[in-house]
Amino acid sequence: MKVANAVLFAGFGGIGASMLLALLWAPSVSIDAFESPAAQRIFYWHVPAAWAAFIAFGALFIGSGGWLFKRSERMWRLHVAGSEAGLATGLMTVWSGCVWGAAEWGTPWDWTDVRLNTFGLLTLLAVYVVLGRNSQPDGVETRDTFAAFGLYGFVLVPLTYIATRIWTIRHPGPVVGTDNGGSINSEMGLVLFFSAISFTVLIVGHMMASMRLTDLEQKLEQLQSQTDKVV
Amino acid sequence: MAGLLTLNEVEVRRGMDVVLRNHHLTVAGGQCVALVGANGSGKSTVLEAAAGLLPLEKGSVLHGTTVIIDHEGRRRTGPLTLGLTLQKNGVLGSEVVEEHLQMACSMGGTSTDAAPFLAAFNLKHRAKDLVAHLSQGQVRKIAVLSALLPAFASDEACLLLLDEPSTGLDDDAVKVLCGWLSALRQRGHGLLVATHDQRLIEQATHLHDLARGATEPCKAPTDHPDITTPSAPSRRCSPAAFGVKTHLQTMLWLNTNGMAALLTLGILLAMGTFYPDLSPLQQLGFLLAPAFAAGLCGEPLVAAMREERAASWWMAVGGGVPHAGWMPLMIGTVVTAGASVGFEEPFNGLYVLVGALLCFAVWHGVRFMQMATVRLARPHAAMVGLLTPVLILPYAVLIDWLTR
Repeated sequence: MKVANAVLFAGFGGIGASMLLALLWAPSVSIDAFESPAAQRIFYWHVPAAWAAFIAFGALFIGSGGWLFKRSERMWRLHVAGSEAGLATGLMTVWSGCVWGAAEWGTPWDWTDVRLNTFGLLTLLAVYVVLGRNSQPDGVETRDTFAAFGLYGFVLVPLTYIATRIWTIRHPGPVVGTDNGGSINSEMGLVLFFSAISFTVLIVGHMMASMRLTDLEQKLEQLQSQTDKVV
Repeated sequence: MAGLLTLNEVEVRRGMDVVLRNHHLTVAGGQCVALVGANGSGKSTVLEAAAGLLPLEKGSVLHGTTVIIDHEGRRRTGPLTLGLTLQKNGVLGSEVVEEHLQMACSMGGTSTDAAPFLAAFNLKHRAKDLVAHLSQGQVRKIAVLSALLPAFASDEACLLLLDEPSTGLDDDAVKVLCGWLSALRQRGHGLLVATHDQRLIEQATHLHDLARGATEPCKAPTDHPDITTPSAPSRRCSPAAFGVKTHLQTMLWLNTNGMAALLTLGILLAMGTFYPDLSPLQQLGFLLAPAFAAGLCGEPLVAAMREERAASWWMAVGGGVPHAGWMPLMIGTVVTAGASVGFEEPFNGLYVLVGALLCFAVWHGVRFMQMATVRLARPHAAMVGLLTPVLILPYAVLIDWLTR
């Protein structure tokens, strides 16, 4: 748990530092390219949060499959961790995107944009899995049901990823890793890279801590069941 | 005697506990196997696994020679007529006694006169009553009859699974039940009865003790009442047919889907002064919104069928949970046509058809999501509504496509 906490705090520290860099050091963007140049700095939070969300949903997918096909307790803990991390980072992405969209596009949401809506659905799926699982007693019925949702819901992840490459409706396309070398300068790339690393560290620390907590909860439940039988 | 039921090395978990481990059990035609064991030993679990209601961690369940469920999740409808009485009664309060028994009988492809059986249970005067008007003991009698009647009406060997059938029955009713069990056994049907009742245990040809996992033969009485049950072929009642009938009888659809459509239409009409100024895309969105809202409420029968575990009874015996079938098409047609009238739009057959299909697709799509949570201990707490926004994007795309 100490390792998980250390990683978690390192991630928080990194995110704090990246926010300071984004606000104070990252270069401004041209008024010709953006309606709201000041709001563009949300980019350094929004994109890494989305990246971290993809990692979390990937963990949810692996954990769900591991429980359904192998009945692995460790994989179930990964499902729990992935769903909670996906919820947190998904909400961060959606919220920051809405704030940026309101400033940049004049509207916080576009119901016809595939990227926005598929990512929104992913986040809603995480809300459903977390709230739904917490409303039920632990058991194979609960685990099978929500692991199935975690498994099939993952189909939205590649769809979200390629959405801006195929259907560029409102959400802009990729700026990093494209054939033409991208459209951000080195300083912006540096801040973005640092923020992405920070979010990755944060999400890994979050999942480590969550898995340990779930393990302790299960051990407590076993002890309680043994006490029930004695009494 | 051919095996009617076989549990092959079955392992079942409930919650986090393994209730059955490497369990083996067979019931052949002409046998009455009594499941005995302490409370919590797994009698109901054996019975529900035999009915194909529980997923298996290991092993398989066969009805006749057909695997109806195995540990890899494969499911098939069995070839035998199944009579089932669960610990809960499996019947809705809105059903009429006589109609419920005829419906249960139709699962075996036959119909028979239920009056003599109701008379034997002192319920003949209640034949036309709603189940909701009966006492718990009387409802239990109906639940038991639902399982036994298809076997009485059938010439082929049936499989009967009865979980504590004598619970709540008076002594006279138990005496009648014992006679019926003996009669059914001697007609070649196979019975598996989970019970603590010594009077029923005495009717058994075999005792299956869950604690030891062993089946031992015992001497069953040979006398039985002479029961003649003339029967006729009958069309099997499908889940959709039962669902439509229940919706029309109870008007369940009006309480949820109907009100959602009406309220949506009402709110839009109240804001409709600027309707003529809207773009064609927005106007079509207004027209189709009531049908979409009606579908978004999903299938109200999914929650209603949790009453007395009627959904479980239907899944085991009827092959599926009842639903509204074609009704969403009708509801979508009416609300879309109503929206056209309300907004003073010229009648457009295409839009009304789209409204009907939209309501149907969304209704059954949400029903699919609702059905995914039936195994949960508290399915009503699972908040399936959170997943319904998945349907908004296709709705927006549809509107956009229609107005191009």
